[in-house]
Amino acid sequence: MFKKSKLLSAAIFSAASLLAFNGQADTMGTPKISAMSILNGLENPWDMAFTKKGDMFFTEKCKGFSVKTKKGAVNKLYGMKGTSGYNSAGDDLFCEGQAGMLGIAVDPNFKKNRRIYVASASTAHRGSGCKDNFDVCNGNIIMRFEVSKDMKSVSNRTDIVTDIQYKPFESDHPFGGPGAHNGNRLRFGPEGYLWATTGDRHKGDIPQHPTLLGGNVLRIDTDGKAHPGNNPPKGFDKRMYTYGHRNVQGIDFRPSDGRAFTAEHGPWHNDEITALVNGGNAGWDPKEKVAGRGACPDMYCGYMPNQKEGMLPAARAEAGTPMSDERFKDLMPPAWNNNGLSQGTGSAAFLKGSNWGYWEGRLAVGIMGIAFGGTPSGMRIDIVDITKDGKAIKSVIQMPTGLTKRFRGLRMHNGDLYATVDEGEIYKISARK
Amino acid sequence: MKHIYIALFLSFFFVSNKAISGDPEAGKARYAQNCGNCHGPGGMGLASYPRISGKEVPYLTERLKTYRAGTKVGPNSDLMIMMAKPLTDLEIENLAAYLASDPAGKK
Repeated sequence: MFKKSKLLSAAIFSAASLLAFNGQADTMGTPKISAMSILNGLENPWDMAFTKKGDMFFTEKCKGFSVKTKKGAVNKLYGMKGTSGYNSAGDDLFCEGQAGMLGIAVDPNFKKNRRIYVASASTAHRGSGCKDNFDVCNGNIIMRFEVSKDMKSVSNRTDIVTDIQYKPFESDHPFGGPGAHNGNRLRFGPEGYLWATTGDRHKGDIPQHPTLLGGNVLRIDTDGKAHPGNNPPKGFDKRMYTYGHRNVQGIDFRPSDGRAFTAEHGPWHNDEITALVNGGNAGWDPKEKVAGRGACPDMYCGYMPNQKEGMLPAARAEAGTPMSDERFKDLMPPAWNNNGLSQGTGSAAFLKGSNWGYWEGRLAVGIMGIAFGGTPSGMRIDIVDITKDGKAIKSVIQMPTGLTKRFRGLRMHNGDLYATVDEGEIYKISARK
Repeated sequence: MKHIYIALFLSFFFVSNKAISGDPEAGKARYAQNCGNCHGPGGMGLASYPRISGKEVPYLTERLKTYRAGTKVGPNSDLMIMMAKPLTDLEIENLAAYLASDPAGKK
């Protein structure tokens, strides 16, 4: 079993390696990095997706989605309830706390079918649910749209997933507001299927639940149906590729073998990067009265123990509800745990293109910077070199972007890395040897 | 004589106002320590963390003292209680003075 001590040893080794690399940066072929703001004045931009031609769709959490065309025009396509200026809008779409309009993806066959996919909080499919935080609450959805040829409007909205769980009310937890932990990153895998991440929405039984969608990575077709090769445990929803996650907001596919990797927020401790295994369990189980724990506030032990006080990060990593609980035989052990810290890993993208030099094929991980309880903030993009078997890392270094921002979303396009930041901008980060 | 009274009153007013309004520069330095990680540059508001730039001094002071006392106000109070606990009265005044100057600018 993979032990934390090994991870920490790897971290120390990596830090030492970084110092060595810095001293020989030029002779080692380290790429030169430049970052340029390509859009600003946005309101909580969350994710972006590109057509092969270079048009960039992007979401703003409480507003809607737009497109910046290859020619530079910005067209506001589809807004949320109460917004203005969009070509059309959905009155069922809303934002609350961490929830809102989040992930976006472009169909690999966009040139022919003009389809894009967007994840958002919605009131359209709640039915009689959502009466309290313990009720089933189908409040996060994935929508499919068709984009007009002139890129100025969308039509034929179809809600292809309507039962991703949502937190409707406040609870007695840090970050305890409604709308917590939605996941909602969307990416197409190399096999042409849509992968969607979901979050535990502060409900203790969700991540290990066989049928409620939350704390999973879903692999579905463009109608929302399960990939036929998904292999979750017997009795589980077949749309699940993996389960037992906390709040996955980063997912991408390693270019060398197509394997999916996630980057995930930790609960005060242990942000994680994990190589996914079909049907695997990420090991997050915040239920009360299991694993030696007693009762917890609102039946969710995700911030225990001592959830209202700062603790030394190392002590919390040791004592806290584990991100990857080794009780589970189908556990997918993390490749990296951010030295036991939780700083908010919000996104991930493998670096593609020879311009990235020896960083090509490594995983860029966006970290928002969350500094509670003695944890250093650490707003940055890390470059993580993951072993072939996906169970460990060889090194982690910080990308010299010159930016100190809350990195929310990362996406590769045409050899460049694009980043949304909470400060209201989208950056293009380029490398040259 | 009337002018002397006015001058005395104005001097008292400005000195008093200075004394209770805090030092924006010191507030800026304190804000930079850890407030900006959530509330963003100049208190512009980020993600689910609200904009606090441009709020009035009494509001900011009262809220910070309420959090410091461990009283909940809103769903993410536990985080603010944790952050406000170590603040001194002077630090609260300085932070309020800084944020009331609307360092993030108009939206």
